[in-house]
Amino acid sequence: MDLSLQGVIPIPLLEKVKNRQSGIWNNTRSFNQGQYIFVQAPSGTGKTTLIHALYGLRKDYEGVVQWDTTSMKNVDAEILSALRTKNISIIFQDMRLFPELTTWENLELKRRQTNTVTEEQTSVWLERLGLKDKRNSLASTLSYGEQQRVAIIRSLLQPFDWLLMDEPFSHLDHANTNKAIQLIAEVVAQQNAGMLLADLDENSFFPYTQTVIL
Amino acid sequence: MSDQIQKGILKKLLLKSGQSSRLWAAMGALFVGATLLLLAVMIWWNFRELLYGKNQQDTLGSTFMIIGKRVTEQNMGIKNATIFTNLEIDSLKMAPEVQDIGEITSNHFPVYAMMGGRLAFATDLPLECVPDKFIDKIPDGWKWEPGSRDLPIIISSQFLDIYNYVFAPSQNLPKLSETSVKSIALNLKVGRDDKAETYQAHVVGFSDRIGSVLAPKSFIDYGNNKFGKPGASYGVSQIILKTKDPSNTKFADYLTKHDYNTNAQNLRWSKIRGIVEVVASATGVLALLLMGIGSLVFILFIELTIAKSKESLTLLLQLGYSPKYVAKYMTSKFLPLVALTLVLAIAVTTLVQLIASKAAVAQGLVLTMLPGWPVWMAWVISFGMLGLLVVKSIGNAIKK
Repeated sequence: MDLSLQGVIPIPLLEKVKNRQSGIWNNTRSFNQGQYIFVQAPSGTGKTTLIHALYGLRKDYEGVVQWDTTSMKNVDAEILSALRTKNISIIFQDMRLFPELTTWENLELKRRQTNTVTEEQTSVWLERLGLKDKRNSLASTLSYGEQQRVAIIRSLLQPFDWLLMDEPFSHLDHANTNKAIQLIAEVVAQQNAGMLLADLDENSFFPYTQTVIL
Repeated sequence: MSDQIQKGILKKLLLKSGQSSRLWAAMGALFVGATLLLLAVMIWWNFRELLYGKNQQDTLGSTFMIIGKRVTEQNMGIKNATIFTNLEIDSLKMAPEVQDIGEITSNHFPVYAMMGGRLAFATDLPLECVPDKFIDKIPDGWKWEPGSRDLPIIISSQFLDIYNYVFAPSQNLPKLSETSVKSIALNLKVGRDDKAETYQAHVVGFSDRIGSVLAPKSFIDYGNNKFGKPGASYGVSQIILKTKDPSNTKFADYLTKHDYNTNAQNLRWSKIRGIVEVVASATGVLALLLMGIGSLVFILFIELTIAKSKESLTLLLQLGYSPKYVAKYMTSKFLPLVALTLVLAIAVTTLVQLIASKAAVAQGLVLTMLPGWPVWMAWVISFGMLGLLVVKSIGNAIKK
């Protein structure tokens, strides 16, 4: 699945975008499946807006965001659900876990949508990211770092062509960041997927094939 | 199993606990509305069946009335002036509201009734016969064949009332129940002089419909042939009518125009029936209103439940759960509640019908043990419409 952007400008950033040069906004770009894209986005340039537009959460922009032939602006709700279940996965900046569910329930809710990852595999991933003893803890009681790791595992519990990441390691220390990078790299490679990571500063978390300044 | 766990988690997210009292209230409102609606349809249908049903033998059914030509100063001296001609009988069959007519034949031979004992009396007894289909309820033993000395008779209920409430107290005689009257035998002397025959008559039933003494038609025909004037043809002086609605002015005008007289009591009963129909209709309107309110309360409860889970619902959709899947899940939770409520409503209605049918038997009326088809139809329509409403409101609430 390929991604193409044509003259996309978020309406709230209309004035700002027109007065500066951007590698994404008001540009025509296309990214092919399997590419590792890093979007370097200084604060206030619309990093989260871009991720949300790509994931179909926002439609307040001019231009076209298109996954293969599917335009995200007018996509049907059922098709969008199918895309989010089978083609595009996401790690939200604000994690977005269900606070009233336990760590395991949060993961099961995603895993059981497609059953592409086994329970055993999920348990192994939990252990790898140091969350084994948090399995039955309510998400609301987890620290931000723990929540971020749960959100990372959740994003890997489905088949995907693209993994979208919005500051995925912002709450993690170096050790946990490295563990998470390793896990994500493994699964992305396994799925022959592409990734698009948006962050504030330059980094070398993954072997990016392209870096774009927002 | 996998699905069960997933649905268990969905339940935690979408059907927040602590709403059980609201749920019971919503179901209660729906139950009251649905039950009243079904009861209203049941009442309407039962009255319809009692008033117009084909199998009704009772006076509550179509109004039965006996008509005759009015005896006036002008015609009282004219022979056969009160006899109905064939033309008049044919015209009556076509009259407004008339469903059926029966000719009343009376005895044209002397009948003398006697009884001994404490209730001793002797009197001339006028007998009449009507076609069996005009008898309230054909009693057991209502049959007479030439040669039989036992004669079954049906007397007007009014006779017993007059005896019990007027005659017996004034003569210091015991009151009589219907059963005790049935056990009394009357000796009848039928015919003239040396040709006279004796019979033992038994009251086998009572009629609210006919104000005289009825004997089987076979007996009246036998008596008229044997003891009446040879070769005489006896005209019809009274006719029993089965009418749909005698309060219809067209029917009343018809009677007036032809100078027929009848029992005003029947017309009064018809008015009561009209009132009952109005009450049944008013109940129906009220029930519809309550059903509407009940449905509204239930739908609002669903919308409130979804509104309370809005955050979880939004995140579920963001994670790729399809609106259809979530709507299907919610429907699978709410539709059984609607079904349960409506099953309870039809159960109560069926129970009431059962009680009503038993009570009706005690009144000599016939009602089916199970609710009539319109009640089931109303149930199916209510279920269908409510189901549709639930599915639509869930779909709309999720879309929002």
